[in-house]
Formats: sequence, C-alpha cells, structure tokens
Amino acid sequence: MEKLYLLAMLAGTRIAVEAGEVEAVVRLTDISPVPGMGAHVAGLSALRSRVLTIIDVAAIVHGRATPAEQRGLAIIADISGHSYGLMVDSVTDICHVPEGELPLRGQLDAAWTPFARAIVEHEGYPWLLVSLAGFIEGCAAAQAA
Amino acid sequence: MDELLQEFISETQETLEALAGEVVAWEADPSDRDRLDAIFRFFHTVKGSCGFLNLPRFERLSHAAEDVLSEIRAGNRQADPATVNAVLGLMDRIGELTEAVAMGAALPHENDDYLIAALSAPADAMVQSEGAMAEAGAVTAAVARQASHAAPRTIRLPLSLIDQLMNGVSDMVLARNELSRKLRERSADPELDTVFERLSACVADMRDVISKTRMQRVDRLFAAIPRMVRDLGRDLGKRIDLTLEGGDVEMDREMVEMVVDPLTHIVRNSIDHGIETPDRRRAKGKPEAGRLRVEARQSGNQIVIAIADDGAGIDTARLVEKAIAAGRLTPDAAARMSEQDRLDLIFQAGLSTAQQVTAISGRGVGMDVVRANVERIGGLIALDNQPGQGLCITLRVPLTLTIIPGLIVRAGGQHFAIPRSAVVEILHDNNDMLQISEVGGAQIATIRGVRHSMIALEDVLGMDRPAQVGPRAIMVVRSATGVPFAMGVAAVDNHEELVIRPASPLVMASGVYAGMTLPDNGRPMLLLDAAGLANAARLPNIIDDRAQQQEDQADAQARVEMVAALRFEELTGERRLLKLSLIERVEDIDARLFGRSGGRAFVRLDGRLVPVANGQAGFDRDKVSALRLRDDHREACYPVAAVLDIVEMPLVPDMVAMHGVVSGVSVIEGEHLEVLNPFALFAGLPEETMAEQPRGRCLLADSEDGWTREILAPLLRQAGHDVLLGLPADAAVDPRDVVLCSGSDAAQVAEIMGCRVVQLRASPRATGPQDGSIYRYDQDALMAAIAGGQG
Repeated sequence: MEKLYLLAMLAGTRIAVEAGEVEAVVRLTDISPVPGMGAHVAGLSALRSRVLTIIDVAAIVHGRATPAEQRGLAIIADISGHSYGLMVDSVTDICHVPEGELPLRGQLDAAWTPFARAIVEHEGYPWLLVSLAGFIEGCAAAQAA
Repeated sequence: MDELLQEFISETQETLEALAGEVVAWEADPSDRDRLDAIFRFFHTVKGSCGFLNLPRFERLSHAAEDVLSEIRAGNRQADPATVNAVLGLMDRIGELTEAVAMGAALPHENDDYLIAALSAPADAMVQSEGAMAEAGAVTAAVARQASHAAPRTIRLPLSLIDQLMNGVSDMVLARNELSRKLRERSADPELDTVFERLSACVADMRDVISKTRMQRVDRLFAAIPRMVRDLGRDLGKRIDLTLEGGDVEMDREMVEMVVDPLTHIVRNSIDHGIETPDRRRAKGKPEAGRLRVEARQSGNQIVIAIADDGAGIDTARLVEKAIAAGRLTPDAAARMSEQDRLDLIFQAGLSTAQQVTAISGRGVGMDVVRANVERIGGLIALDNQPGQGLCITLRVPLTLTIIPGLIVRAGGQHFAIPRSAVVEILHDNNDMLQISEVGGAQIATIRGVRHSMIALEDVLGMDRPAQVGPRAIMVVRSATGVPFAMGVAAVDNHEELVIRPASPLVMASGVYAGMTLPDNGRPMLLLDAAGLANAARLPNIIDDRAQQQEDQADAQARVEMVAALRFEELTGERRLLKLSLIERVEDIDARLFGRSGGRAFVRLDGRLVPVANGQAGFDRDKVSALRLRDDHREACYPVAAVLDIVEMPLVPDMVAMHGVVSGVSVIEGEHLEVLNPFALFAGLPEETMAEQPRGRCLLADSEDGWTREILAPLLRQAGHDVLLGLPADAAVDPRDVVLCSGSDAAQVAEIMGCRVVQLRASPRATGPQDGSIYRYDQDALMAAIAGGQG
C-alpha cells in the first residue's frame, strides 16, 4: 500500500501530509486580516469565488505569528465543509513513500506532540507526519480554553 | 434495485405531502371528481410499484384503499367523513412505512387490519352512519384553493449539484470582473467592448436563473396546513373555514424549511386558543365556523406571511396577570405599560393565555420560541390584536438566507459589513443632536435625550485607530435581542446587497462575526454580528425600568409616530417622499410658464415669479405636475414627473442620512424611498422672490374661526398676500398691514393700533348705511379693499 505524501517545511520542521487531505497549494497574495482573532488566524483570502480562512500554522505550533513578508505558500484543504489555507514555509515534493508510516522515535518537542502522528522516511530524512484537520481542531481547542 | 426503491420512497413521500390537502378538499366537496381521481391514482401507483418491489404491506393497504375509492367513483358509496378518516389513516400508515423503509428500519408491526376494517365498516352500516355523519360533519374544513393545474415537467436533482452550479457561476462573475478591470487598463476597443458587454449580460442572466433554482413555491409550506386544520378542528370540536392564498409566491428552499415550524405553531395556536367553539361563537354573534386565513405575498425583498383568524384575540389583561403572578412584572410597572407592551408579553418565555395546557399547543413551546426562530433568519414578527374580534400575526422574512441588504463601514483601515436591519440610525459625531460623554472609562452617547452605551468598533476588535480627518460616523445598532447601543466607525461607505456565506467555525468562534462576503473587488469582507459585538464589549444588557420607559418613548417617537406624506416620482425617475402638510396643493402647470433667470429656475404663477425648488426649468411635455410648497412666508414650486399616492411615513426617517435636499431613507411597503428635507429645500431658495414688493401683511384677527382659517386664509395666500393668523402679540404692526375681522370690537382694537381694517360680515346684506363691512363671499370687493390699503 503506497500512499502519496506532500512534503513541506513548516516552522523550520520537515513535515509530511497525506496527499488525500490536500486540495491544492497556492501562493498567497492578498490576505484580509480578521481583527479580534488570535495570531493563529492570519486572515481571509479569496481563491476565485471561494473564501479561504488562512491559518498561521507556525503560530499554532510555536505561538509566534509569521511576519507578513514571510508569508508565502498555503496548502488548501477542505475541512468539515469549510475551506482553509494552511501557511507553510515551502513545499518540497509530492511522492510515494514505499516504507509507509513508521512509529515515532525519540523525544518530540512538546510543541509538536499534539500534531505529530508518525514519521515517514524520504531520501534518508525523517519527515513528521501531521494531519491538517488536527491543526484546525488544535486551534479550536486552544480558542475554547 | 436500491435505486428503484429510493425513487419509490421519495416519490411516495412527495405525493403524500401534496395529497393531504387534496383529501381534505375532497371531503368538503365529495362531488369533486378531479380530486378523487388524484387520490385514486396515488393508491394505484403505490400498489403497482410495491407489487414490483415486493412490499406486501404497502400493497395490502393501497389495495384496500383503491377498492373503496373505486366504489365511490362508481357511485356505489358516499365519501362520508368516516371513510375520509379511514383513507387518511391509510395514507398516514403508508407514510410511516415509507419512512421506515427509507431509514432501513424494520417495518413497525402495527395492526393494518384495523385500518382496513375501518375503511370497509361504514359501507355495511350506511344507514346508521347518517347520525354519526352529522356529528362528525360538524367539523369540516373548506379549502379554497386554485384549481390544481397540470404540473409542469420536472426532474429531480441533488441539492449539491445546484450548489456546485451556483459556485461555478460565482466564479464566472469574478472572472468577468477581473477581465473587465484588465480591459479598462488597455486602450478602448469598441469591438471588444461590445463582445464583452454581451458576455456580461449572459453571465448576469445566468446568475439570475441559477438563483431561481433555489426558489420554491410557498405552496409547499402550505401543503400540510389543510390537514392539520381539519384534524385539530375535529379534536377540539371547532369549525374552521380555511383560506390559503399566495401559494405561487416563491421563496428560498432553505427559508421554506425555516418557516415551517413557526407557521405550524401559529396556526395551531390560532385554532386552539383563538377560534372559539361553535356555541360560544353563536353566543357572541359570530358565524359558527371560524375563519382562518393564511396568506403569503412578496413585498420588495421580503416575503410577508399573514395568519389571520376571527377568534377571541389575545387577552392582554390575562397576560399581565400571569406575568405578575410569575413574578416577572411588578403591578407598578404593569400599570405603566402601553397596550403594545402588554401584547409583547406573549413573547416572554413561559407565558400563555391558555386557561389550561392542552395537547394541541401549550406544550412548553411558546411564542418566544416562534419569535426567536423568525428573528434568527432575519425576519420580523408583528401582532395585530383585536380583542374579541381576532388576531393577525404577520411574519416578514427575507427572500433568501444568503442575500441581505448591508452597510459597508470602515474601521481601522479595513472594511466590514453590517446588516442594514441592525442599524437604526447613523449620525456624524459633530451632529448637535449627539453628545458623547465619558465616565470611568465608559463612553455614553446621548442622542435626543436617550443615553446609549457607546463603543468604538476599533476598540472592540482590538485594532489601531488611524488618525482621520473629518467626523466619525456613529451608528445606533440594535440586535434582535439586546439593547440598542451606539457604535463609532471611521465612516459608513456604502449600501449594498451582500451575498453572505458562512465563515469557518474558527472565525465564528470569535463571536463578533456572523459570516463573510466576497465583494466584487475580490477582497473578502466580514459581516459583523451586532449582538456579538455588544457581548464582546461587555455592554450592560440590563435596562432599568426608567431607562426602558424613556427608550420606549423615544422609540414611540421614532417609530410609531407617523405623518402623512406624498409619494411622488421625480423628473429624474427616483421615488421620493415629502411631508404632506408642506404641500399647499398639487397642480398641472403649463411647461411654458417655467423659465430661467440669473441661473435660477422660476415659474410664472398668477402674475408672480415663484422659485422652482429643484431647479428644473425645461420639460419634454406640455403640462407639468407641480407641488406648490409654502413655509410661513415663502412659496416654492416643485415640478415632479408624477404624483403617486399619499402614504404614512415615520416622522423620523428609518435611516437618517442628511445630504443635499434628502434627509434620509424610509421604507414604505418594502420600497426604499428618499425623504425630502423641507428645511434644505427652502434654505436653498434664492433670498428674495424676484417680483416681491414691500407690501403689507393681512392680519386675520379671528384666528380661531374655522372659516377664517380654512377658507379666507388660503384664498388670501393664493392671491399672493402674506397672511398672519391672529393679531401679533407684540403689537408690532406695520402701517401697511391690513386687519381682517368680523367683530366690531376687534376692528376698534386694530384701529387703535393704527392700521387699516377690513370688516367682514356673514350676511349678504349690510345692516345699515353706516355698515362699512364687506360680505365675506364678495371676493372682488374684498380684494379691492385689501389692495386699497396698500400702495
């Protein structure tokens, strides 16, 4: 069973996302801020006639908002009926990983524990497998707290 | 097979829904062959399909019904109420079974035999049933419906496909807008422009058509009512004449779903609590059968659904009693309440006028829930209570959930939308009526004596407030539930119809946004939630009784006080309102009499030049309708395209927005109309009327006299005199003034004051040779006498 993974850099960490979760990757142009929200919601952006809620994933993980000039790419995903754009530093590749998902090893940074599910190996490097829906749930939970 | 079954289920459910009303109508008029045929066809179809699909229970039920109906068709049997009941019972059972099949649940094992036996029973006991018939026949619900016409050809589509189509069209519109921007940047090419225009028109047409696919006839909303009325009437022993009207009005599919519950509840209430039993109605001198009328119509971008009955109405005294008993109201406060306030108690949770809780209504779901449901979809509910005569409940709901009129406001360098319905009033902060004070960090805006909590949108949202030139706009915002409050924004920019879409849960969780919209410029915009903003700012939501009273008074002034206004069409095509009392009369004036001089427009009337208030001087027709206006000493003429009618308008426009000669916008019968500002109108007139000569005034001594006010004064004004009612209190009379009076004592007073007197008398004949008075209907002599004193 070979799955497709999207490999990307997020907050300086190598991550992998199941390609099934990803709708597209776009370059962000215009983001209208949503005042009154925490740093994790970067704003709204229009993709054709759809309106995306842009999530600053680095802010969720490390609690620091990404400066506006460093905003580059976003992974578009449809999560429970709403369109989101999750900001990433860069996208490396989309590829099959023959070995599949490997169990987590080593002591994971506390910031990443809620989101990391497993590890996938690609070209000799480990990539942290995360779920996009997990980030959205994560920040919904953070808001509720 | 599954697909076939699915089709069978949805078809059966749909037909059942539509047929419920038909059966009741058929009962009212058993000779109606068309309806009988329709019902027969239904059972026949069900029987046919379920034989094929192997559903034996369906088959048995429908077969039994078909047998009875065909007997009735053949004339061997009559459609008495017992039979109709049994047929309805069978239809209900088929409905239950269908649902069970649809959910894949086991078919409920109930006794079908009993139902089938009920169907055949009356046939054996036709004679005895006469008596029973009379009894049961006391309850009939006549249904006046337009004859059902041939159904248009339709196909069934999943809703998701239509949504996809809608999205596609939205994309197309945005692409077109972008293309249009790009085209404008390039040099103009007429050929390209024409093609683009055509494309634009096509896209716009398409958008209209697609949005129609979401519309549904209100008929569907009404379908369940006849059956419900009939059943309830039977249970309660009441007779009800039901009239349904406006079933062909269309509204958004989702809206129909949202309105079903409130409507059902109101109809139930009406039958249970409103309409009395036949005995009591007879005692009150009303016809035995109560009338219930449900009517839908479209008014602007709203659907109005009115439910009117001629029952007992709401007993407000009982409501107040109950409220006091429940400890929600002090007798003191109750005594101060107006009738409308008392009526509004019906919307308080847990209060009902019903003597006892019945099985029909009064199940703990009250009018409070109805109101909450209606307001949640942006609707309004209004009561018109005539105690003892009936009650009319009006629901006003927007045409669709997704398009609302909104205001675009600017704050912190960003744009936001706010529903137009939430905004009561807009003022600039340099307005004299507004006073902003600060105490302990709290800001209070006092507008016309009413204190509101004041917040700045930037503060609530935690934005910086950039320095700005010019005044800020202060909006008075009222949410469906809370207390009105004042909100400061940098500016109110625009008024637009907005297509609202839901925002993601993350954004909604902030509590201050109600949704988002994507305007043509492609930058998403957030829709503010008025109640949420008040919560976020932690504004006090409790009002003390006195503040409430004051507010009510202010509200009463702002809302209830209505004045008569003339609705007319401007030469430029807009429709506007003008307070009727300012208009002296309306007349058709020869277009040639209009002219221009010194940059000002004038019209020649009765040998004088009268300024034209809206500066129009050239017309494309011979006769022009003109309003003749007058303040206390000047007159003006206001040519219009057409005078439409006289309507009631609120004294203070619904939305105050002063600019130019317009003082604001009022909504009359769903139409947005600009209200002319008489102050600006007269202030804009040239200082001196051109042909005006210094001339004395006509002082009318008998200012209290009806003839003087209504007949003499207008006559003199028409003749171009300045008329003053009553003698000036400060005795500042000009020697040129003429005093008109009928009593000789007033004449003496006037003579002492040193001005000329024209004495009038009511009889045509003089009382003697010394009598210098003039008969009051002798116009020539009167004019001469007045003119004689001038010059």
